Parts: sequence; structure tokens; C-alpha cells
Amino acid sequence: MENFTIQFTLFPMSITNARDYFLRTWPQLPEEILQDLAGIFHPHSAKRKTILTAEGEVEKYLYLVLEGVQRAYAIGEDGREATLIFTYALSFSGVADSFLLQRPSRYWFETLTPSQFLRASFQDFDAVLCQHPRLERVLRLAICETLEGVLVRQIEVQSYTAEQRFRTLMQRSPHLLQLIPHKYIANYLGMDATNFSKLLGQIRI
Amino acid sequence: METNAFLDQLQQQTEVVLDLAIRQWQLIPPQDLAQVPEPGRWSAAQCLAHLNVYGNFYLPAIEKGILQGQKTGSSPARIFQSGFLGAYFTKIMQPDSKTKMKSPANAVPSTIVDPVQTLAQFIDQQERLLTLIDQARTVNLNQVRIPISIAPWILLKLGDTFGFYTAHQLRHVQQAERALMG
Repeated sequence: MENFTIQFTLFPMSITNARDYFLRTWPQLPEEILQDLAGIFHPHSAKRKTILTAEGEVEKYLYLVLEGVQRAYAIGEDGREATLIFTYALSFSGVADSFLLQRPSRYWFETLTPSQFLRASFQDFDAVLCQHPRLERVLRLAICETLEGVLVRQIEVQSYTAEQRFRTLMQRSPHLLQLIPHKYIANYLGMDATNFSKLLGQIRI
Repeated sequence: METNAFLDQLQQQTEVVLDLAIRQWQLIPPQDLAQVPEPGRWSAAQCLAHLNVYGNFYLPAIEKGILQGQKTGSSPARIFQSGFLGAYFTKIMQPDSKTKMKSPANAVPSTIVDPVQTLAQFIDQQERLLTLIDQARTVNLNQVRIPISIAPWILLKLGDTFGFYTAHQLRHVQQAERALMG
């Protein structure tokens, strides 16, 4: 059983190159595979509030976040935004389903703060997976974890009260409070600004 | 001044203000934001409410100007040259300017502003300003003209509007900081 962790994994030391990241994430991978995988990731930076993938576009890249916060959000027919997920260092980012299936994205992906990434194109990603079947397995397990995260979030959205959702997020990602405008967090939690402010006041005391 | 360097500087300055609002002000108890340091002085929330009044006028005006510029085929110039009036307004708006100013009655904030909502609007405006600074890279800052709020028949160069708008902002952001220190 290959051992790995992926989403929301915060390493104590800062990571600036892909090889170090993959070495820590999948220490069991042989050096050759690590090198080939790391080789397809290239630096990319984006200013605050840059749309990296628009609805209807096919996601070209798999991102690894080195710095900054990003979000994926859908825009409803009434024009209202629904924030689906936040990403930050060190996790994968981008529109995962659009990337893996190479189908048009149903939602948007943007930076919320100035951001640094390493990113790989789909062509390179596909090629390195074909070359190293062992990576397919590692990737399958990683996607399982992501799927688990999505389903857990689904439970939160459907069966938690607003206050429970707030407390869960504060346990998982309290640092978001001082990194991004609170309207995005309130939106992710499905509450209005006034309610969010009240709950924030409670934990402040 | 080189247009790109000028816009980079505006962007950086706005980032600093936005960062302060996100990292610090958002986490301050709302009643502290609304606290008047002494009678007759503005609370931090009032300073921001004052800036929001100008944002509500200038941000849509700048957006309209840029769109107009794009439509009429304005293209970026290498150098931005301040106009006479624009340079003057920017100078007197600077936080260290010796010129005392009294805010126009319609921009004097009520003593009872909602601090949370005011701060949220201020943050929205900074995000929008950053986007506009970016969009301004597609047009000529000397050519596109923006009216001023107190006298809509006076048109300033877009670059000057950015210049005095951000200087005015810095002035009251520093005032808000002082209000929070008591």
C-alpha cells in the first residue's frame, strides 16, 4: 500500500521545487519517477483576483500551490456566486474534473491573493503517467482522497447548521481568516456577512 | 514617468492598503472600528465610510473611462505626464501635505456607520481598484479623461485620477490607523 497524503497537507518547511514536494508526498517513489514528474512542473505567478480558468474553458494545467489562496466558484443563473473550495500551499489546485477529463469547466478558478504556483500541462502530465504506470496508482489514491474530501464537504453543506460549518472550517483552516476577505469565507459557508460577523465575534471572545 | 512603473507603484500601494484591511482590520472587534478616539475626530469606520463615498463615484467613472478608451482605440503610451491640475490635486492630497482640507458635507460620514459593512465595502473597492489598475494598462493614461466629483465639468487625465485617488486614500487610511491607536 503506497503511503501518501495530499490535500490540506502543510509542511513545516517551505518548498520551492516540485521534486522536494513529491519526495515528501510520495517518499516511496523511485528517484527516476520523481525526476520525470517534477520535470513537467514549471513556475507560474499570478496577481490577486486573476481568473486562471473561466467557465466553459478546458483546464490546461494541474497546479501545485506554493503561495497564496485561490478559490473555485460557480455562478448561478441568478448571477450569484457559490464558492466551492479554497486552495493554498501546499495543495494541488485548478479545475480538477475539467483537467482530468479534458472537458469544459462548469465553474471558475481564480486567485484571491497574489499567488505562486508550479504547474504542469495536461499533455506533459498524460505523457508522464503513460511512461510510469506506478504513477497512475499513486494518482488514483490521491483522487480517492480528494473524492473523500468532496463528499465530506457535501455532508457539511447538507446536514450541518451554519454554526457547525463555521466551526468546522475554523478547525480545518483558521489561517484563512487573516488571508482573504471574509465575504469569500461567508459565501463558502453559505451565510450572509452579518451572520458570519456574529459567529466570528463569538470565537473572538 | 514611465507608465508601467507608475501603474506598478499604484498597484503595490493598493496591495499594501488591502493587505492591512484583510490581515488586521477584519479581525478587530467591530466596536473598536467604530470607536471615536475623541469628540470631533473620526472613528476608523468613519474614515473608511468617507473613502467609500469617493470609491462609489470614482471607481465606476474610471471603469467607464477605460471602456470608452478601449472602444475608441486608445493604446498605452510609454510615458505618463501629469496635467497641471492633476499634479496639484495629487500633491495636496498626499498624507504629508501641509494643506488642511475640509471634507465636503456630502462626504462627511455619519457617526453611526455599520463598521462591518463599511469595511467589507472598502475591501471590495480595493479589489476593484486593483482590477482597474490592471485594465488601465490597455489604454493611454494621458488621453482617457475622468470627471472630478465636486465639479463634473473638470476632466482630469486617468493617470492623475489614479494619482490623487490613491493619495487621498492613503491620507485617510493613515487617519484610520491613528484612530485605532486612540
